[in-house]
Amino acid sequence: MSPVFRIAAEEWRYWRRSRLGLAASVVIVIVLLASAVVTWREVASERDQREQLQTTAENIFFDQPARHPHRMVHYGHYVFRTPPPLALIDPGVDVYTGAAVFLEGHRQNSATFSPAYSGPQGGSFANLSPATVYQVLVPLMLIAVGFSAVARERERGSDLLLLTAPMSSRELWFGKTLALAAVAALVLLPLLAAVVLATGYALDGIMLLVGYALYLLGWVCLTTSVSARSRSSSNALAVLLSLWLAACIVLPRVAASGAEVLLPVPSKIEADLAVAKAMRSLGDGHNAADPAFEQLRANLLVQHDVDKVEDLPVNIRGVVAEAAEAELKQVMDGFAEGYAIQEKAQADAVRWSSLLSPLLAIRGFSTSLAGTDLAHRHRFLIEAEEARYRFVQELNQLHASDLNYADDIRRSSDAGAEKRTRVSSDNWESLAKFRLTPDPLADRLGRGLPFFALLLAFLVLATVLGVTARPAGVR
Amino acid sequence: MASLSRELRFALRDRTVQIILLLALAAAATSVITGVKAVEDQQALIDRLLLATDEERAVAVENAGDPGDMAYYAFHLTYAPPSALAFSALGTRDTLPWKHRIRMLALEGQLYESDVGNPELSLSGRLDFAFVAAVLLPLLLIFLLHDSEAGERRAARHDLLCVTATEGRSLFTLRAIARALLLMAAIAMPFVLGAWLQGAGLSGIGIILGAATLSLIFWLVVCLVMVQRIDAGPTCAIALLGLWLVLAVLLPAGGKLAAQSLVDVPQGGELLLAQREAVNDAWDLPKPATMDPFIERHPRWAPYREVKRPFEWKWYYAFQQVGDQAVERISSELREGIGERDHLMGMLAFLSPPLLTERLMTRAAETDVAAFQRYERCVRSFHASLRAYHYPMLFGEQPFSDEAKTALPLFEPCHRSAGQ
Repeated sequence: MSPVFRIAAEEWRYWRRSRLGLAASVVIVIVLLASAVVTWREVASERDQREQLQTTAENIFFDQPARHPHRMVHYGHYVFRTPPPLALIDPGVDVYTGAAVFLEGHRQNSATFSPAYSGPQGGSFANLSPATVYQVLVPLMLIAVGFSAVARERERGSDLLLLTAPMSSRELWFGKTLALAAVAALVLLPLLAAVVLATGYALDGIMLLVGYALYLLGWVCLTTSVSARSRSSSNALAVLLSLWLAACIVLPRVAASGAEVLLPVPSKIEADLAVAKAMRSLGDGHNAADPAFEQLRANLLVQHDVDKVEDLPVNIRGVVAEAAEAELKQVMDGFAEGYAIQEKAQADAVRWSSLLSPLLAIRGFSTSLAGTDLAHRHRFLIEAEEARYRFVQELNQLHASDLNYADDIRRSSDAGAEKRTRVSSDNWESLAKFRLTPDPLADRLGRGLPFFALLLAFLVLATVLGVTARPAGVR
Repeated sequence: MASLSRELRFALRDRTVQIILLLALAAAATSVITGVKAVEDQQALIDRLLLATDEERAVAVENAGDPGDMAYYAFHLTYAPPSALAFSALGTRDTLPWKHRIRMLALEGQLYESDVGNPELSLSGRLDFAFVAAVLLPLLLIFLLHDSEAGERRAARHDLLCVTATEGRSLFTLRAIARALLLMAAIAMPFVLGAWLQGAGLSGIGIILGAATLSLIFWLVVCLVMVQRIDAGPTCAIALLGLWLVLAVLLPAGGKLAAQSLVDVPQGGELLLAQREAVNDAWDLPKPATMDPFIERHPRWAPYREVKRPFEWKWYYAFQQVGDQAVERISSELREGIGERDHLMGMLAFLSPPLLTERLMTRAAETDVAAFQRYERCVRSFHASLRAYHYPMLFGEQPFSDEAKTALPLFEPCHRSAGQ
């Protein structure tokens, strides 16, 4: 047996005897399993509920009776954001974002009802998903188990003794690292099980696992490296705990608070108000006589060679509604885009801090790959908006082509006209089916790649620290 | 007293203590600076929104040809302004809504719009003073104290110290108290300065400092007990950290799950769908199907129940109201469920000092669930006053006049004393 394996095996024997490492591992494994079961149950039931609600919403929409098309524009439609499969492991920003968007004419609504809305407020760490356990708690466990690995030998002077044997300090370090890496591998087993259960053997799941393996291996090497470079185990522990505290607890929060303060994002209500203001100059699509549509009206009369709107082959009110919605969409999209860009700038500011905190790097990688990052949330909003615009404009076209203008203007006062301005419910079936799927794997991997590189750099750095460590007596 | 001041001097000269005190000071100062800035941004945002909403409403009211028009186009900003102490405990303010743009349509469709901050930032959490006091303070204290006795033992000074010091063994207690006091001072100074600049009341400052002190005392006692029982510094640190993990992370997370599974709340999505059905079906239903349940609740308008034309404003607003009535049960179950869950978390907090500290602080800062629910009640009562104001005109009892346009009710934020 090579000396590396012997060292590793001896380290395991030591851990089996020391109650502390064992206790730490047991606690973490229990937490891990509990968080996995719980997140699984929660996200799975959210998924089922939202998928069900989506189907219900669609069925209700399709079952609407014959109606005036503009009434359907305001009747609106709901779309729900169903979590992707890997959200079972990393729910990411989904916990804080609304699950449902109401689609209606002339408005881009924000999403309502995030899981946080009715969820109990449990303080700083209450949202304990398997991802956060692996990101925050498992490194702490690895430190607790491994901080004394090399430093302990040094304190006892046994390292010099070991080195008199045919073994280098490098082999000693590798042996200790291998032992701790085996602990990390054991801890990764529940994640492997979860990944297989959630996605089968799909590539995104495997890549997620690779990312976490890299991250934990980085902490393993960091732990043994610091241990190898410390005068005593308590020094090693002090350094490692400071690093953990900085990387996992303090830095992400400082980054978030800093990003919020330095790059403030306007509120959605501000955008709504600006849209309302723009709407005043754009003209009201409900009012075909609005001076804002004079040009449109004139063009239409010329095009069809008639003198009065009553003689047009199309219903001017539908045409105006369609034009107004198109103009309005441009304004609203402008604001929505600006809003998303600024939100992304904040997120990027936090992500730059990944250079200092491997936790932020693995989080960036994990949420990108799981499809639960900010980019996916923005895509949900964009796709919901596309669905909204499509169904509103289809209804406006129906309004223009299928409804008699004379009836249309009298429908509030004349019951017969009101009846005649309804279009058949067969039309509804073709509108607004909505299912959100995660981005293609290539895109998700592409977004995760910089974080993957950072994780790799973290691992290399930690390894170099260990490989170059020299025992105290040899120095 | 003399020995305490001696220990204080010793501690201030110790390099590890210096570093930890500096870290504590830096964390607290950062939390106060970013907290104050965040709260000032929120206040500035409210001011901007108020200005823009007022301007928008003035135009809408000016152009309104009838009371129905006015009610439809006049939006109001409702908001919960940050309290003077909100900077110290941001609490629910970045995950739950505290501002809305409301008009007289069915309220349930508007109330759940959530215009909250960037979820990516919520995911990281904020470094506010509550976090420093509840989570960081114990960690820093553990760093400071875990090796205090074991370190002396390793240096072979322990027994000598105990024999020669006039305090005997309690020397270590005194030493720990001195360090804890310094730590407290380091985090309290930036907070007090921030609170003073924000114009917070003395009682509020007292509660926040009191909560921080309670947290400190708890962890000081825990550290003292462990330090005496465990001989090796690293073992002691791991044991203390394990306890921190259980109290600060596992209990709150477990409690949250328990509260979630013990108290069922209705699905938000169901409420939304039901409400929309109730509002929108009305268009196709015979008029009495709307007017009857409306009159039942508002008998005052019984003489005006007749709707003669396919569209009349009074009928339109009646079905908005009936839409709200239709989901009253789900909506109140939701509110009660949220309150009940919060109550359970409050009970659990007595087992978890970090959670208790955070809860005491968010309560003092009015950023807790209770404050969020108070804000929702405030919006409800404002919306009710809008209805009370418009109905007489919509039902034709009062004429629509220029005076009516100027007398539109305006939203006033509710404070803790009101509506509790």
